[in-house]
Amino acid sequence: MIAVGFHPEVLWTDWGLVWDNRSLLLHGLLLALEVSAVALVLSVVVGLFVAVARMGKRPLSSIAGIYVNVFRGIPALVSVLWVYFGWSIVFDFNFTVFQAAVIALTLLYSAFISEIYRAALQAIPKGQREAGLALGMHPARIFLRVTLPQATKIAIPNIGSMFIGMVKDTSTFTIIGLVEVVRVTQNINSTTFKPFVLYTAAAVIYVAAAFAIDFLFRGIEKVLTIPPSGWVANVVGGRRKRRIELLVKGMEATTS
Amino acid sequence: MTEQEVVVELRGIRKSFGANEVLHGVDLAVQTGQHVVIFGPSGSGKSTVLRTINLLEEPSEGSVRVLGVEYGPGIPGESRVKRGSALELRRQVGMVFQQFNLFPHLTALDNIALALRTVQKLGRSEAEERAAHGLRQVGLLRWAARYPTQLSGGQQQRVAIARALSLDPAVMLFDEPTSALDPELVGEVLGVMRELAESGMTMVVVTHELNFAREIGDLNVFMDEGVIVESGPRGFFDTCSNPRTRQFMDAVL
Repeated sequence: MIAVGFHPEVLWTDWGLVWDNRSLLLHGLLLALEVSAVALVLSVVVGLFVAVARMGKRPLSSIAGIYVNVFRGIPALVSVLWVYFGWSIVFDFNFTVFQAAVIALTLLYSAFISEIYRAALQAIPKGQREAGLALGMHPARIFLRVTLPQATKIAIPNIGSMFIGMVKDTSTFTIIGLVEVVRVTQNINSTTFKPFVLYTAAAVIYVAAAFAIDFLFRGIEKVLTIPPSGWVANVVGGRRKRRIELLVKGMEATTS
Repeated sequence: MTEQEVVVELRGIRKSFGANEVLHGVDLAVQTGQHVVIFGPSGSGKSTVLRTINLLEEPSEGSVRVLGVEYGPGIPGESRVKRGSALELRRQVGMVFQQFNLFPHLTALDNIALALRTVQKLGRSEAEERAAHGLRQVGLLRWAARYPTQLSGGQQQRVAIARALSLDPAVMLFDEPTSALDPELVGEVLGVMRELAESGMTMVVVTHELNFAREIGDLNVFMDEGVIVESGPRGFFDTCSNPRTRQFMDAVL
C-alpha cells in the first residue's frame, strides 16, 4: 500500500519562524553579498586584463583563450572545493572560508566578464581610437579615457547579470562552511524541522536580492547613458553642466 | 618671393594591404601656409596618402618628413635615418575625419579639453578655458555642454575641427570632412575651413567638393589607382590636360 498524503496546513503555518530568525538570515544574505561584491570587483579587473590579452598578440591571446574556456566550464562548487582544500595543500596555507569563496568566484566570473568586455570593446568603432591617436594621445590613455568608458556602458547590464549569478553561486559555498543564506537556513532547520517555510524564505531572499541588484545596475546604466539621465546623473552631471555654463557665460561677457 | 619652408614631404610612399599594393610610390610636398587639395575616384588611395602623413597608415616603404624629421620606414637604397616617434609626429599634425569621431561620452567642451589635458598636460581649468576659446572660434561656444548626439552633423564636425586645432598643429589634414553631412549642413563646415585657410593654416584636404577645392587649392592633386596622375597650381581645374583627369572632372563638375 502506498501512503498518500496532502498537508496543506504546512503552507500557512510557522511563518513566524522566518521573522524570529530575521537577523541570522539577513547576516547570511549580507555575507553572500559581501563575498560577491568583492569577487565582482576582482572579476572585472582580472576580466579586463584577460579581455585585452585575448584581443592582443599570440601567445598571450592563446593563453587568455584557454583561461576563459577552462574557468567558464568549472562549476562553482568544484571551484571552491579545489581552492579551499586543494590549494591549501599546494601552498601549505589555509585560506579563510571568505578568501576561498572570493577566489573561487573570481576565477569563474573573470572568465565570463572577460568575454563580456571583449564583445563590448570590439563594439567601439575604430574611429574612436584613431581620433585619439590623431590627437597624439598615448594608446593607454585612449584606452582608459575613450574606449573603456564607452565599452563599460555596453557591458554594464551583462555585468549586473553576472553579479546576480555570483550571489546565487554563493549558496553552494555552504559546503566549506560559509555562513550564507543556505547554511543559516539549514542550521535553523536542523533544530526546528520546518523545511518548507525555511527554504521558501531562502528562495525569496535570493529573488529579492536579484531584484535589488537589477535595480542598482539599471541606475548605473542610466548614469552612463549619453546624455546622462536619472537623478544620480543629475546630481553628478548637473554640477558639471553648471560649471560649463558658468565658463561660457564668463566668456560671452568678455568679447575678445 | 622667398622659398617657403616645407612642412610635409612624402617621397616614394608605397603601401600594401597583404599582397595588394594600393599606393605605388607617391611624392608630395606641402609648404607652410599652402592649401593642398587631393581628389580622385573612390579607391584611388587619396585617403591612404592623407593617413600616412600622421602614420595612421604605416607606409610599407617611403619617406615621411614632417618639419624636417623623418618618420617613415625609408626608401630602399637610401641610408637609414633615425625615425621620430609616431606620438611626436601626431602632436604636430591635426586631423579631421569623415565620420567626425567625436568622443560620444564627453560634452563638446570635454572633447577638446581631454586632448589638452592628456596631450598638453594642462590643468583642468586652463584646458577648459582654451577649449571654450576653440568652440567660440567655430561659433559653438553656446553648445559647450551638449553631447555629440545632441548636435547636428555640421556642428559635430565643427567641434572636431576645434578639437584638432586646439593642439596648435603645424598642418591640418581633412579626410572628406563633408562627405557624411546632409547637403544643407555642408556649407557651415566649409565656412569654417575657408576661414582657417584664410588665416594661413597649412592644410591638406581630401574632398569631393571640387568647387571648394577650386576656391582654396594652391596645389591640386588628382589621384587614380594608387598614383598621382597629375597635379598643378591654382587654375588647375581649367588647365589640366591628362585625359584621365579631364574625364573625372567632366563627370563630377
